[in-house]
Amino acid sequence: MFLIRTLHKWFGLVLGLQLLIWALSGAVMALIDHHQVSGEHALLPVAQLTSGPAPAPLATVQAAVGAPIVKLELKPLFDRWVYKASTADGVRLIDAETARPFEVDAALARTLATGRYAGAAPVARVDLVEAVTYETRKMARPVWRVAYADDAHTALFVSRATGEVLGAKTDASRLWDIAWMFHIMDYTARESFNHPLIVTVASGVTWLALSGLILLFRSFRSSDVAWLTGPFDRWSGRRARREP
Amino acid sequence: MRLPALARTTHKWLGLIIAIQAVFWTVSGLYMAAVHIDIIHGDRLVRPAPAPAIALAGLVEPGHLAHFAPGLKSARLETQLGRPVYVVDAASGKALFDAKTGQRLSPLDEAGARARAKALFAERGEIVGADLLTNNPPTEIQTRPLPLWRVEFEGAWRPTFYISPFTGELVARRHDLWRTYDFLWMFHIMDYENRSDVNNVLIRIATWMAFAGSLTGAWLLLYSFRRRRRPRKPA
Repeated sequence: MFLIRTLHKWFGLVLGLQLLIWALSGAVMALIDHHQVSGEHALLPVAQLTSGPAPAPLATVQAAVGAPIVKLELKPLFDRWVYKASTADGVRLIDAETARPFEVDAALARTLATGRYAGAAPVARVDLVEAVTYETRKMARPVWRVAYADDAHTALFVSRATGEVLGAKTDASRLWDIAWMFHIMDYTARESFNHPLIVTVASGVTWLALSGLILLFRSFRSSDVAWLTGPFDRWSGRRARREP
Repeated sequence: MRLPALARTTHKWLGLIIAIQAVFWTVSGLYMAAVHIDIIHGDRLVRPAPAPAIALAGLVEPGHLAHFAPGLKSARLETQLGRPVYVVDAASGKALFDAKTGQRLSPLDEAGARARAKALFAERGEIVGADLLTNNPPTEIQTRPLPLWRVEFEGAWRPTFYISPFTGELVARRHDLWRTYDFLWMFHIMDYENRSDVNNVLIRIATWMAFAGSLTGAWLLLYSFRRRRRPRKPA
């Protein structure tokens, strides 16, 4: 037991700070509503068009795309039907009725984002993000970042290739992301929780917790729980006296 | 009470309340860190579906899809089992059509589900069973709607694929390492009911108690290491 107490002490000295960080970052993540983190509150569902499509025939689509098509989607994009054609070297967008290819530029990205934005604030700015950022690390890039002038600093992300809204980020997402970084100990990319540092520290902290649990069995004396057992002891004591 | 005694007492009592959960947290966290998330997700169980160029000539025109599926929301032309198909989302739900003949393929029968599962499975094992689940969803499919075909394979960790009878898509893949992860995740987020709510009252309280527990532990460290006294010189 002395050995376990010593080990608990030394593991606490070396690894205790990370345990403290895990508890604090965990507490922060538990407090922030995960619906706010995911940005789903900032997004409206994809609107359905009232009129059905009058789509161009496949031969026309093939001619407009040029490259061999491996997958072809017909879907609404805000106010019109589009074909989204996947080829070996990327995705092409085509207006489904005129069969004319088009690009998602800044102005269109702003329109597409605002079509899905649940708030009423105006657009603050529109930027094209090509590098990996904390906000876009899980999204296919390049992506248009459409920022709104609301209290949560909401930003919607529109894929330049497909025009689809890939997600929304708010201040809640950004705060959560910092807690997440400390929790998974990936201080650069904030992405991986499978690296040697965290496995090593987690092994040590597992022992810290386990040794603490073991020590509990030796740390409590009957005097610690006298307030609880006292009345019972007195009662059984009286009984013992009464019996001959 | 003297300060060292106060630190010891608070640490001890907080420990009494939180120690078992702390062991759950660290053991589950260690598992999540040690087993790579790509293995948990079962990436290696799935063979990337071949995506050949689709010969468009002679296929059902997208303009005709509204006749098959009134209230068309979207449609996708892709290859399944080497044949071009339309996966259609319409007012009446999702459906699968042969893109050459226009024949409706959904809901898939057992042979169709088995063939798709077999084609996607990257390992060697044979199929040991296929069931169409229509009620009592197993926990492991989470919020995915039924019906679903469950196709189980022989092999390590009981690999299982869930195939949508309406679209022919692989909607979930499971194996025992995933099931263990999900079980431990329940302990990690303390949602012992649905394994999904990371903001439940229990964990909000417990995390702050763990924070207080580690803070009092740090406080206690101040008194736990004896400084070596310099031997006093005799006066």
